[in-house]
Amino acid sequence: MKKFNRRSFVKAGLAGSAAVLFGGLTGKKSEAKTLKNPIKIAHQAVLSGNFATYGKFHEMGARLAVEEINANGGILGSKIEYTMKDATLKPAVAVRNARYFVEEWGADMIMGIDSSGQALAVGKIMPQLNKPLIVTHAATSQLNENLVFKEGIKQIFRVSVPTYQDGISAAFVASKLPIKRWATISPSYTFGRVSWKAFKETLKKLRPDVEFVSESWAHFGTVDFSSHISKVMSSNAEGFFTTEWAGELISLINQGQKFGLFKKFKEVLLSLGGAMDVVEALGKNYPEGVWISCRYWYEYPPTNVNGSFVERFYKRWKRYPHYVSETSYSAIYAYKAAVEKAKSVKTEDVIKALEGLTFVTPAGRRWIRKEDHQAVYEVPWGRVAHTDKPPYVTLKNSIMVWPAEVYYPHPPFKENDYPPYYNNK
Amino acid sequence: MIETLIFQGLTGLSQGMFLWLISSGLTLVFGILGVLNFAQGSFYMLGAFVGYSVLKFTGNFWLATLFAPVIVGIFAFFLERFLLKPAYKLDESYQLLLTFGFALVLENLAKLIWGSGYIASPRVPGLNGFVMLFNRPFPTYYIFIIAMGFLTVAVLWYFLKFTWPGRILRAASTNQEMAAALGVNVSMLYSLVFGLGAILSALGGILATPITVTSSGVGDTIIIKAFLVIVIGGLGSLKGAFVASLIVGLIESYGVIFMPFFEMAMIYIIVIFILLFKPSGLFPENV
Repeated sequence: MKKFNRRSFVKAGLAGSAAVLFGGLTGKKSEAKTLKNPIKIAHQAVLSGNFATYGKFHEMGARLAVEEINANGGILGSKIEYTMKDATLKPAVAVRNARYFVEEWGADMIMGIDSSGQALAVGKIMPQLNKPLIVTHAATSQLNENLVFKEGIKQIFRVSVPTYQDGISAAFVASKLPIKRWATISPSYTFGRVSWKAFKETLKKLRPDVEFVSESWAHFGTVDFSSHISKVMSSNAEGFFTTEWAGELISLINQGQKFGLFKKFKEVLLSLGGAMDVVEALGKNYPEGVWISCRYWYEYPPTNVNGSFVERFYKRWKRYPHYVSETSYSAIYAYKAAVEKAKSVKTEDVIKALEGLTFVTPAGRRWIRKEDHQAVYEVPWGRVAHTDKPPYVTLKNSIMVWPAEVYYPHPPFKENDYPPYYNNK
Repeated sequence: MIETLIFQGLTGLSQGMFLWLISSGLTLVFGILGVLNFAQGSFYMLGAFVGYSVLKFTGNFWLATLFAPVIVGIFAFFLERFLLKPAYKLDESYQLLLTFGFALVLENLAKLIWGSGYIASPRVPGLNGFVMLFNRPFPTYYIFIIAMGFLTVAVLWYFLKFTWPGRILRAASTNQEMAAALGVNVSMLYSLVFGLGAILSALGGILATPITVTSSGVGDTIIIKAFLVIVIGGLGSLKGAFVASLIVGLIESYGVIFMPFFEMAMIYIIVIFILLFKPSGLFPENV
């Protein structure tokens, strides 16, 4: 891993503003009288239906941040007032919520959003609402590449990783594995297609000898994957890749175990297998040896900031933090850092302060790229191993991670331009 | 190739059996009560959750499979008696809205009791392995599901054809007023049928736990397909529900290899054709 050049990443990070360290070091009392009190933060995520657990995890992370900040003197002396609404997964509902938050409730910052369709729909109306929007889950790269970079909608930010993690970083892992033929069962909607395409194109660059021999496309809401499993298992693939997530991934794993999928394939990559909802549901039944990742893993990075976050989170909620908990938590701290830097809650000032901001979060140091407002940070891959304590899954002994600068596409985002941008041979 | 076809067929059959368990309840209730019960998916969901609790308490999956449907059935019996019955005087659309309300309340109730997370899938003693077919493993649990599907068909058929309560039921579905005039307690019959429908769906719910995921929203996904099934099969027809379940299960399964991206559309296309050319469904008949 040493062969990757970290310099550009570090330089870019330093070029941003000074790192803001938090987790006990916050709480400066302020004299600024211009700030409004309270500062209002509105959050929306899916709280109903099959994905309700996501909204709950979002809320736990955000509430923890709000409680901590308020207990430590707020943001420059102003308390945070927080509200949360069910966004379902429908774009229209998310847009309605966003309008309500800003126009009626009086939000200073809005955050959350799980589905890509919702993020794009809300993103489009942000120039009208003119408040900062910090996306904490929806992963479409169109958000940062098109809406922010190309269309210039400056109100949009994202602290969670885009689909780059799901397809591209997976290909980096796959390139290190001694197998050649790959298969997938992927979600048949944009997210799944884009991720599989990125996986293929990147892996082909890294390892020209690989082949992609079987694809099966599962529609949204698939309960029974057995016919898809049966299809890919009839191929001669040695490796299996999927970006199925949440309940559907759990079903896929359960059924895969019954069909012997984890025996047939020598290597299995689950881009969202590290999500805590999946880990909680499977626990010790999680097949050992499969590669998993997500948008934040509770054991990484092994820093005090992260360790103490996981402890505080567990103490407060008796559960381990999901990645959406961490991104929600960090979104609020990013906003706090920006307001403190700008000494203002005015949208233009906050946007300016967020651009290029580098801040320390449980997931490690995040740097908000100025051009596309995308937070750049690393998320690891690792092989599932069991432990005796909840959540019963550890990646400690097999962590594989690349600098985000190496696998994130860069502005000006050319069509089908997949990393790496150098020749790996 | 031939073994792939057989494998897809078997997985399609097992998918069809789950559809059958939920749509049989739906069509039974519609056939006798004339109510399109949106909460049928909730009974499926409750079957899974109650089963999970019984399993936690007893440690035995089979006891859970036995008790969960019965508990949900009793619950549904009282739900019909106290909340749905008063709505029979009203227009049908009110009943539809009411059962939709049940579905929303039950989903949130489940969230309060069992939390919003996914429930871990149980491992079924004795059925965790697989049998080898053409040198490929096929899970024994799926074979069990297919067998359970046929078993419920046989039991229901026997019940309706050869037992006294079954005959009363069929009589009431043909002509309620006459049945009432002959001394059948139609009100009680309604409650029992509603309970029986819930039992079937709840059985589907608990049997699905080892292979799928259980969350409070799980009923939503399945109920839509169940509606498609009974439209294809004929509203109120058990035979139709069974045949249509298998058709939908097999189309999905073969669709995965022959028409990727298109298998769901295929089902809707069939529904459109049925509605256009045979609106009463494949088997327009009574229970």
